[in-house]
Amino acid sequence: MILFAILAAMTALALVVPVISRRYGRDTGYFLAAGFLVLGAVLTPSVMSALDGVAVEGTLPWMPEIGVTATLRLDGLGSLFALLVIGVGVLIFAYCPRYLHGDHHARTYVLLTLFATSMLGLVLAADLVLLFVFWELTTVSSFFLIGGTGPKSARPAMRALIITASGGLALLVAVVLIAIETGTTHLPTILADPQMVLDSPVAWPVGALLVLAAFTKSAQLPFQSWLPGAMVAITPVSAYLHAATMVKAGIYLLMRFTPIYGAEPAWQATLISVGLLTAVVGAALALRQHDLKSLLAYSTVSQLGLITAVTGIGTSVGLAAAVVHTFAHALFKATLFMLVGIIDREAGSRDVRELGGLRRVMPVTATLTGLAGLSMAGVPPMLGFVSKETIFEALGTADFAAWAGPAAGITGVIASALTFAYGVRIFHGAFAGPTTQRQLYEPAWQFLAPAAVPAVAGAVLGVAVTVLNPLTRSAVADTVPLGLAPELYFWHGLSPELLLSAITIAIGMTLFFAREPVDRFLNSIRTPPEGELFDKGYEATLRVGALVGRPNRASSTLAFLSWPLVVLVSLGAVALVAFGRWPAAPPQVTGPLDWAVLALLAAATLGMVVTRHALAAVALLGFAGLLVSAWFLLAGAPDVALTLLLVEVLTAVVAVLVLRALPPRFRRTRPRRTVPAAALAGVAGGLAAAATLAFTGWRERSELGDYFLQHAEDEAGGTNVVNTILVDFRALDTLGEALVLGVAALGLVMLLRASGLSQPPPPLPAPAAATTGDHPSAAAPRIVDRLIFQATNWVLAPGMLLLSVFLFLRGHDEPGGGFIAALVAGIAVAFGWFAEGRTGGRVPVLRALKPEPLVAAGLLISVLVALVASAAGEAFFTPLHLYVGEVHLTSSLLFDVGIYLFVLGLVVAAIDRLGSAGPPPQRATVAERVPAGRTEGGEA
Amino acid sequence: MTAAIAVGILVAAGVYLILQRGLVRVVIGFVALGHAANIILVSAGGMAQRGAPLLADADEEAVAGMADPLPQAFVLTAIVITFGITVYLLGLARAGGDDDPDDHVLDPDSGPDGGDGTGGDSEAAVSGIAPESGEGDGSDADRHAGAAT
Repeated sequence: MILFAILAAMTALALVVPVISRRYGRDTGYFLAAGFLVLGAVLTPSVMSALDGVAVEGTLPWMPEIGVTATLRLDGLGSLFALLVIGVGVLIFAYCPRYLHGDHHARTYVLLTLFATSMLGLVLAADLVLLFVFWELTTVSSFFLIGGTGPKSARPAMRALIITASGGLALLVAVVLIAIETGTTHLPTILADPQMVLDSPVAWPVGALLVLAAFTKSAQLPFQSWLPGAMVAITPVSAYLHAATMVKAGIYLLMRFTPIYGAEPAWQATLISVGLLTAVVGAALALRQHDLKSLLAYSTVSQLGLITAVTGIGTSVGLAAAVVHTFAHALFKATLFMLVGIIDREAGSRDVRELGGLRRVMPVTATLTGLAGLSMAGVPPMLGFVSKETIFEALGTADFAAWAGPAAGITGVIASALTFAYGVRIFHGAFAGPTTQRQLYEPAWQFLAPAAVPAVAGAVLGVAVTVLNPLTRSAVADTVPLGLAPELYFWHGLSPELLLSAITIAIGMTLFFAREPVDRFLNSIRTPPEGELFDKGYEATLRVGALVGRPNRASSTLAFLSWPLVVLVSLGAVALVAFGRWPAAPPQVTGPLDWAVLALLAAATLGMVVTRHALAAVALLGFAGLLVSAWFLLAGAPDVALTLLLVEVLTAVVAVLVLRALPPRFRRTRPRRTVPAAALAGVAGGLAAAATLAFTGWRERSELGDYFLQHAEDEAGGTNVVNTILVDFRALDTLGEALVLGVAALGLVMLLRASGLSQPPPPLPAPAAATTGDHPSAAAPRIVDRLIFQATNWVLAPGMLLLSVFLFLRGHDEPGGGFIAALVAGIAVAFGWFAEGRTGGRVPVLRALKPEPLVAAGLLISVLVALVASAAGEAFFTPLHLYVGEVHLTSSLLFDVGIYLFVLGLVVAAIDRLGSAGPPPQRATVAERVPAGRTEGGEA
Repeated sequence: MTAAIAVGILVAAGVYLILQRGLVRVVIGFVALGHAANIILVSAGGMAQRGAPLLADADEEAVAGMADPLPQAFVLTAIVITFGITVYLLGLARAGGDDDPDDHVLDPDSGPDGGDGTGGDSEAAVSGIAPESGEGDGSDADRHAGAAT
């Protein structure tokens, strides 16, 4: 539980940062450093226990349905990384206040703290799902930290995000595969029995995906390009995320899965070869940099390569080397980054050639830089020297092929010699040469102290490396269960590794002294600009997307709908041939009235298609709808027929409102368009008819239908079975559908507001002085019509409202219910508009209706009904029943009220907004219309 | 049988109309397609039993002759959703002034096809390079004047 408490405390720290920051500004860093120190102290007993071989574990229930628990576990390997996260975190937070300028850094501090939380969670996670979640959180926080430094950082941040997030996706797939194959997501269980994964068919894919995830995160070739780009971030971020901790997450993943894959030759070969290649290429590129921050970035790439390679050895020696070098690298690289930040702040330059003679003006800074540089170069007596020795020892034992050991050793020496060369360059820059920048002076001790701690630690721990033995031993025990970690000593005696170190230093010195020809040579090697590979791939992807989407940018429906239609029709044809049963269907029952309806429908539809009069087309559409609803009535669906009838009326009303502003006649279409459209329509229609014939009418009433007929009355307390299905049996479905209506209503409101068409309703004209309306463009009814309308409305509107209530109340037993009743009320609203030129006419109840509150109330009531059931201990949306004497009340009636409000909201939105919409905007190009619309909207 | 023919007619009309110029015709086609889909759903429930699924005062025999209520429930909500989307589409037509850019192309009655196709025309319109000639604007204004009277 202590582990959860620590993560929670870190999150809490992140949450209070904005408050503290308001008062203390950039000095907030000291609070965070202190907080992290306390957390580190709290964690220490657990770390001690883990180092003694007793892992600390805590579990919280999370997703019991799929067997996933939130499990945190601190073992030796976790301790190593937790130490880095918290330790380096303390230093970075103590460094920030002097590095940052100004007082508005709450964002940076919050993100850094959240990152630390996710990174700690990542190394503590003992559940694969949890591990993935934290992995992604580090990616996201890294993205925001890189991208937070201005417009220039947008592209590098995006590149880092896309590369590391695609690795995250690979990890996700690996996690899912492992979970399916082993039946658990508990990491220690999976690691305890490697054969469970290795014997499964997914062993190879999982291994490859894990390697991919690790390589993207730890910037191995060919994914290295994001890390140098990430240097646009502020220096504390580079030091913390992109040197000491986050980039090690990939290494951590590889170490974690070493118990499973460590002995596999393919794993070894991949990790060693890619790691060493990255080490050499990264070091060579680093040697070519003059900007200190870029130099350090490439150096990080190179060092991560070395650690990847020794992790790939898979033996206790290899893992010990990886562990100790991870530690050493965090120390010297964090130091160097912080010092570069100091030099950058003081000197305004990060060019390694301009450091010259720094020791004369900034003796302490120069000494610390020198210490860290020597540790990086692997010079005794630094910790970097010990770790480098161990790396040589490990590389020599590579055995996935006969030549592997010597080859790996030689490559390691080359990478190290290059490292030595640029390490010495930094050292030389700090100490030797003429002082080029005399105006510099030593920074305040508060600025230097955070960098001094790891620099001194790196120097002392070289000799006192045995202090690290418990950590190494226990971390290695977690990764190579059968192996025993070699004890680390500062002095190995006259070993082959010492000889290799000597050779490394000799080559390195040569490279350093011959730096001018070396520079010329390195600069003559043409390499693609950093990230070009990624950028080209990215742009190519965008181009493919543009190509695929091109038809959709045409505004002609023929251009972008015909292909989907052709595909749909082809699929239908295939299905018909493959599954259709011919001769079609047992005799379908067809009544004489059916044929009459069909004949009228055919005539109406034909007219609708050929007419060029908009109003006629709408009228014919309404007539066709009427016939379809008659067909539904004949098919025994009175509720459906009634609904469709009312919807047709309202559709016609809304269409007329819209047509007021549109040309009365459709444009004539060219044969170039009509002929293919007609052909496609003919094929689609024929196919649809054939499919209906072939696929329907084969079976009796469905089992579910029988169930509803049998049980509607006793279970739902209603005799209108369709209504009980809507509001009771399948209420959740209905809620989803009602939501669509709500979204359409709100969408309509926003659409018309955005296009500047929405206007406040006109003042109610006096009935006696009826004019032709307030909108000159509105085809407002003439005076006589209006008088008739107004008189009728007085009589009809209250009657329709009563009818609506009546239909609603009886809906559970007879045709009616929320949908139908709301549509009736909607027609009253529409009628009022025609009578008075404004929504709801003069009927007070109707005038008060506004779409937004209606939709909100509908949603509120529906969700409340559903939640009340949950509160009563039933499943979500279970209707509650109440018997008052003979009368059976059910909460589903209340849900029906919710539906009623949704539907009414939609109708009111349509009538109100389309009715009150002003004259259409002047014909203009799209570009011109948008701003014009905005101004109008602003005035309204 | 009648269901199949009705579906065929409505689908053909719907597909034809959604491929036409002008959003209003597209909306009409959309509604026709909605009708067709609803008829398929109901007929999938079987057309042999046609009794309304109302249980009040219904005996065994009446229940046996009732239509399947489940597809009816589906269709009922589908109708209302179709209405919602129809209304939204009509709102779009209203907001956009029904501007299928094809309408901006010279009227086919008054001359040969304008431009090389629809794509180039619409892209020009989107990028703000007004493709309309004075003539196009004039005819639009005429149409609106016609609408107002």
